[in-house]
Amino acid sequence: MAPKLSIEQVSMEYGSKRLGRTKVLDTIDLTLADGEFLAIVGPSGSGKSTLLKLISGLERPTAGRILLDGESVTAPPPGVGFMFQRDALLPWATVAENIDVGHELAGIPREERPDRVAALIRLLGLGGFERHYPAALSGGMRQRVSLGRLLAYGPQLYLMDEPFGALDAQTKLLMGQELLRIWTTHRKSVVFVTHDIDEAVALSDRVVIMSSRPGRIKTEVAIDLPRPRDARRIRRTAEFRDIADLLWRELMGEDEEVSA
Amino acid sequence: MNFRDAAIRLVILVAILAAWQYAADRVIGTFWISSPSLIAERLWLLHRNGDLYWHAEMTVWQAFVGLVFGLVVGVALGLLLGAMPRVASIVDPFIMALYSLPRVALAPLFILWFGIGLLSKVVMVFSLVFIVFVLNTMNGLREIDRDLISLMRTMRAPWPYVIRKVQLPSVVPWVFAALRISIGLAMIGSVLGELLGANRGLGWYIEDAGGKLDTTGVFAGLVALMIVAVLANEIVKLLERWALGAGRRQGVE
Repeated sequence: MAPKLSIEQVSMEYGSKRLGRTKVLDTIDLTLADGEFLAIVGPSGSGKSTLLKLISGLERPTAGRILLDGESVTAPPPGVGFMFQRDALLPWATVAENIDVGHELAGIPREERPDRVAALIRLLGLGGFERHYPAALSGGMRQRVSLGRLLAYGPQLYLMDEPFGALDAQTKLLMGQELLRIWTTHRKSVVFVTHDIDEAVALSDRVVIMSSRPGRIKTEVAIDLPRPRDARRIRRTAEFRDIADLLWRELMGEDEEVSA
Repeated sequence: MNFRDAAIRLVILVAILAAWQYAADRVIGTFWISSPSLIAERLWLLHRNGDLYWHAEMTVWQAFVGLVFGLVVGVALGLLLGAMPRVASIVDPFIMALYSLPRVALAPLFILWFGIGLLSKVVMVFSLVFIVFVLNTMNGLREIDRDLISLMRTMRAPWPYVIRKVQLPSVVPWVFAALRISIGLAMIGSVLGELLGANRGLGWYIEDAGGKLDTTGVFAGLVALMIVAVLANEIVKLLERWALGAGRRQGVE
């Protein structure tokens, strides 16, 4: 089967000729199968967020090409949803209205939207907060709303840039669990960027480790842990620890190279 | 505000008026500073014969029309320049030059060009207020979370949607801030136009009274202007509370 996404020889440079150019990504080759959950792990400066921006069409690579369903990405394509570390909610809109933004932009008919919003509110455990404004919610709940908006948009490819990175440890675990539960029911493709190895291993089918300055793909590791998984319980298994340790060593090797 | 403060204010007001009345009757003379009782009498007269409203209506109408034009054109231009950062940076020195110019100095030109009627005053008010709206709108746009715009782009939001859902709501508190500044400016523009050339309006009434050495008339006009300005400010405050409260734009529950 043709891959959902293929990244071919992609490089990205920032800056100008006069002030000098910085290479952020160096000849990245990567493919993503339909329905695959891919995690990208790397230190800061490895260009993982830039890679997501290129996939989403927010920015264009300086070399190489990105194919989504076989078509070259030159502008934000349909069916791709982005989730940021910061919730990016509309502060002047309620929880329900913020989620509904996803429906509006996906072109869902007006009469279907209230029921769908209600279903998402239930799915994400936001019952009773429909009419609250973002400022009245905790960081975790705001990210739930943000996830709700993304689900409402209904993308075929989810791009998630450290979506739970700003949350406290317990909330982060909980959100991971919920994401996994939701993903298991519809199995859409996901590219999940994080710097948390445990999170990457617990959630994904495959982890790509990137090195920094310029960002290159260092290793890919398939995560052969059974599904459906419980993102919290799986962390206590020996298999999980073995994979996580392996990934840690790969990342640490990166640090030694940098300090050498 | 509590009763105690209100009482203190009332005492201060009465003291000022009493001192004024005493100075007018016994020290300086009513020719120079009129007196509270004479001014009250004049205002009563102007109220009875309707002149007060005839003049105030003109002054307020000029300020209002100029303000509305300034708001609409200023916000539109601010949104436009906000959407074209390159054009904005090129024309920035021109905008700042216009902004720095004491625009009251343009009044003689406006009267020359547009006559002594409504139009010259509206243009005067407009020239005073519209740049405030342009600058505040652009500031409001700059304050928008960039992730929010990126997110809208990834979901392929059409630009009218982005304006309606993101840009206008972000800009509303800034437009109200501009409006609060502009109320005073609009009154200045309207009255200034009347001082220089008109045949109606509170500014004209003051100018006319001054020419007749009628200090009571000058002060009556000033008191009327003060009342109008205070009322206008209160109306904007109410509007603001209503608009910001309705959408709870500050996000405070």
